[in-house]
Amino acid sequence: MDENNTDMDENSTDSVGDEIQSTPIDNDAKAVNIGSGVRVDGRIEGAETSDISGTLTGTLKSSNININSKGAFSGDMSGQEITISGSVDGEINSEDYLIVNNSANIKGVIEYASLQVSYGARIQGTLRHRGSVQSYSPVSTDEVKEDEINENQEVDQ
Amino acid sequence: MALFGSSEKKSEEKTEFMFDTESIVNQSTLAKDIKINGSLESTDYIDFSGHLTGTLKSTTINLKPGSYVKGTITADTITVEGEVDGDIQAKDIYIKSTAKIKGNIRYQNIDIQNGSIINADLFYSS
Repeated sequence: MDENNTDMDENSTDSVGDEIQSTPIDNDAKAVNIGSGVRVDGRIEGAETSDISGTLTGTLKSSNININSKGAFSGDMSGQEITISGSVDGEINSEDYLIVNNSANIKGVIEYASLQVSYGARIQGTLRHRGSVQSYSPVSTDEVKEDEINENQEVDQ
Repeated sequence: MALFGSSEKKSEEKTEFMFDTESIVNQSTLAKDIKINGSLESTDYIDFSGHLTGTLKSTTINLKPGSYVKGTITADTITVEGEVDGDIQAKDIYIKSTAKIKGNIRYQNIDIQNGSIINADLFYSS
């Protein structure tokens, strides 16, 4: 009886140890979170949601982008749904909607489909509406077509 | 129908304005069928629904849906619900969902509603 008890105790402690080791923290949400005070320099691609409260310099491609009020971004960003409450210096490319809150400070080129700007926000630069016929658009539309062709070829293979 | 000039009394029909109509002393309304080539100047409130090529200057300008202005617009407060091709300069600019703007916008405070189509350079000045 005593031996059995000790065996069981050993087993149970072992299994607890295994459980702790076998639960690695996976980030399957494709989420990027840059905290306040953190500085990142580089290229982020394939993200689903990106929450930036720190400083990010470089390229950001994410479906959902939030530049929070303490956040600062400089470079090129593209996404579907973008909300800006902090500062941005560079290019913003929004396929779906872009919300600019009153604490935002933006310098650069903004390409948008749907834009909402709150009273008090500062924007210095160029606004371009996607879908409007523009003289400077042929280069970008060619790129899109090439991308689509490449994607189709990949699907075929 | 076009009503030019100023009316000292608050019109009963004008209750839909977003501004306090009680405080408006000189209010000009320009209807849809008005076409102007040149400049239009006022010291108070202009409610504009027509077509204008040239310059528009006032304290408060409200460009109604269907209005079209090609040229320069200067005011303290501008509300754009129509189409503008040119320069807009104001302390406060409100761009509504029906607006279509091409050109330059110089502002101190800007408010943009979604649905508006803007292809313009924005200049912020404090």
